[in-house]
Amino acid sequence: MTPIVARAKARASRLVPMPRVPRLALILLAVVAALPLVGNAYILSVLIKVGLHAVIAMGLVLLTGLAGQVSLGQGVFFGTGAYVSALLVLKTGVSPWLALPLAAATSGLLAAPIGRAILRLKGIIVAGVTLTVNLIFFYLVVSLSGLTGGATGLSQIPRLEYPRIMPYTTFVFYVVWLIAVVCLILSVNIAASRVGRALKSVNLLGGGSEDTAQVLGIDVMHFKVAAYIVAAVFAGVAGSVYAHYTSVIEPHTFSVQTSVLVAIMVILGGVTNPWGAIVGSALIVGLTEFLREVAPIVLGGPTGAYELVAYGVVLVATLLFLPSGLCSLPARIEEWRRGRRL
Amino acid sequence: MSSRTAMRSATSVSRGGHGPLVEYSGVSVSYGELVAVNNVSFSVERGEILCIIGPNGAGKTTLLRMTSGLLRPTGGQIWFEGLRIDTMPAHRIAALGATQLFQDIQLFDNMSVLDNVMTGAHVWSDGGLIGSSLRLAAIVDEERRIRRAAVEQLSLVGLTGVLHEFPAALSWGERKLVGLARALLCRPTLLLLDEPYGGLDTEEIDRLSRMLRTLKSEGMTILMVEHLTDVVMDVADRVVVLHYGEMLAEGTPDTIREDERVIATYLGD
Repeated sequence: MTPIVARAKARASRLVPMPRVPRLALILLAVVAALPLVGNAYILSVLIKVGLHAVIAMGLVLLTGLAGQVSLGQGVFFGTGAYVSALLVLKTGVSPWLALPLAAATSGLLAAPIGRAILRLKGIIVAGVTLTVNLIFFYLVVSLSGLTGGATGLSQIPRLEYPRIMPYTTFVFYVVWLIAVVCLILSVNIAASRVGRALKSVNLLGGGSEDTAQVLGIDVMHFKVAAYIVAAVFAGVAGSVYAHYTSVIEPHTFSVQTSVLVAIMVILGGVTNPWGAIVGSALIVGLTEFLREVAPIVLGGPTGAYELVAYGVVLVATLLFLPSGLCSLPARIEEWRRGRRL
Repeated sequence: MSSRTAMRSATSVSRGGHGPLVEYSGVSVSYGELVAVNNVSFSVERGEILCIIGPNGAGKTTLLRMTSGLLRPTGGQIWFEGLRIDTMPAHRIAALGATQLFQDIQLFDNMSVLDNVMTGAHVWSDGGLIGSSLRLAAIVDEERRIRRAAVEQLSLVGLTGVLHEFPAALSWGERKLVGLARALLCRPTLLLLDEPYGGLDTEEIDRLSRMLRTLKSEGMTILMVEHLTDVVMDVADRVVVLHYGEMLAEGTPDTIREDERVIATYLGD
């Protein structure tokens, strides 16, 4: 082997991904693969919702859990992904598969200047400003009716091209959960890396210190904005898939309510744990569906009457008994068992 | 491997060069009417331990914060390695080879001891977002190197068996050592220490003094603010005395000990 070939091979070997795939992720993949065999279309549609919210929530875990920047405005990037993807396909006729990465990239590009402006602020003010940006986005989408369809939104958005060997819902289910598992692996890798340590070091909510981070050579603003962009890209991907799954999008789907709900999912699951995003979104989406379908029959009243109360009760109970989220439950049980042994 | 050789491999690299490592030229900083540091000029020579002493409010910590880039002077210039740094952001100054250990240590409470120390390698490692998220082979190799260096650094400061503890579980002395290990993993040319002896017992003080002497012998330059005058006179090559933001005296410990102005305003009889 010539030295040039040897050098090229050595360089290439340094670029080989070595994914850290936790055993639980493999179990999750197996469960996901098997679910369409046993679940009906309704269950799959609920699980698609869980997966899409989990992807947005994973971005928030990186942004809030790791970097300590509270965002109540992820709906902006969820919506950007959905509208950009839908408009690209409707207006230019490109394939939804091409629109998906373009929409995600647009969400990331939009996040860069917004993040740079917002993340100079500190603490809870960041949450307030991101919420305000979400409100502005909502009214902008409603106002630009010539482009976005205004309050009624866009319809007849083409589906993702798919092999006709399975129903479309089943196909989207696989796509969504493949994306969710990929985002989970990326998040776990980031959290355990130099970048993850830099993000944790600027997390003032979790015990970080910007002064210390800076004297250790960490460009605080660079890493905060990077986390904001990654979270936006995750949300943009979810938005694009959502648009091509439902074929109809309207501004309310991307409102502050959605952003707050995603934040609640992250808190419930465990703000510092990417797995918490899946657990939290499963709980909230599952609870919402249960209350929508079962509660009106059992308790009476209109559909959706109990949702806010239920979210509140679950949130308060979790914060009281498991402040680190549901993902901390196994550790708490282990602590309790050890305590009993002593 | 002897501790000295190990210290050399894991910590400082003297970058050579000529002239002073740091130069303060007419440096001032004021907060409205209050002048915290007023027209201070001195230099820090390569490979020396220079201690800044003075009463509370003398401007000692302010001077350190200006050197590390956390505070901008309102007048004058600061030069480090021949580069003007008073307008540079702190992370760029760290990249040039200066890092600071704060008086209250400021360990990251959301990270284990090992991760805290590994953060010190940020300045000389380069794993980016994409490589880290894909866990490229090069990134995995680099992480292994950083982990090895961090473990080695912790053992050099005498801390083993606490790698996976969180800072809240450590004693004050242990926290100081973790902070020092983290700062040293930056492989700095200039180490800025803000009251490193505060809260340590006699044994820990002796141990820290030995460590600082070893680092100096390896070529590291140390600029330190300290209140314990006995320790200062023991470890420092030179001493600068500040008083209400102005420079009162500068010289070797023996000169300072006999300086009448210093005795009258700070040391006493």
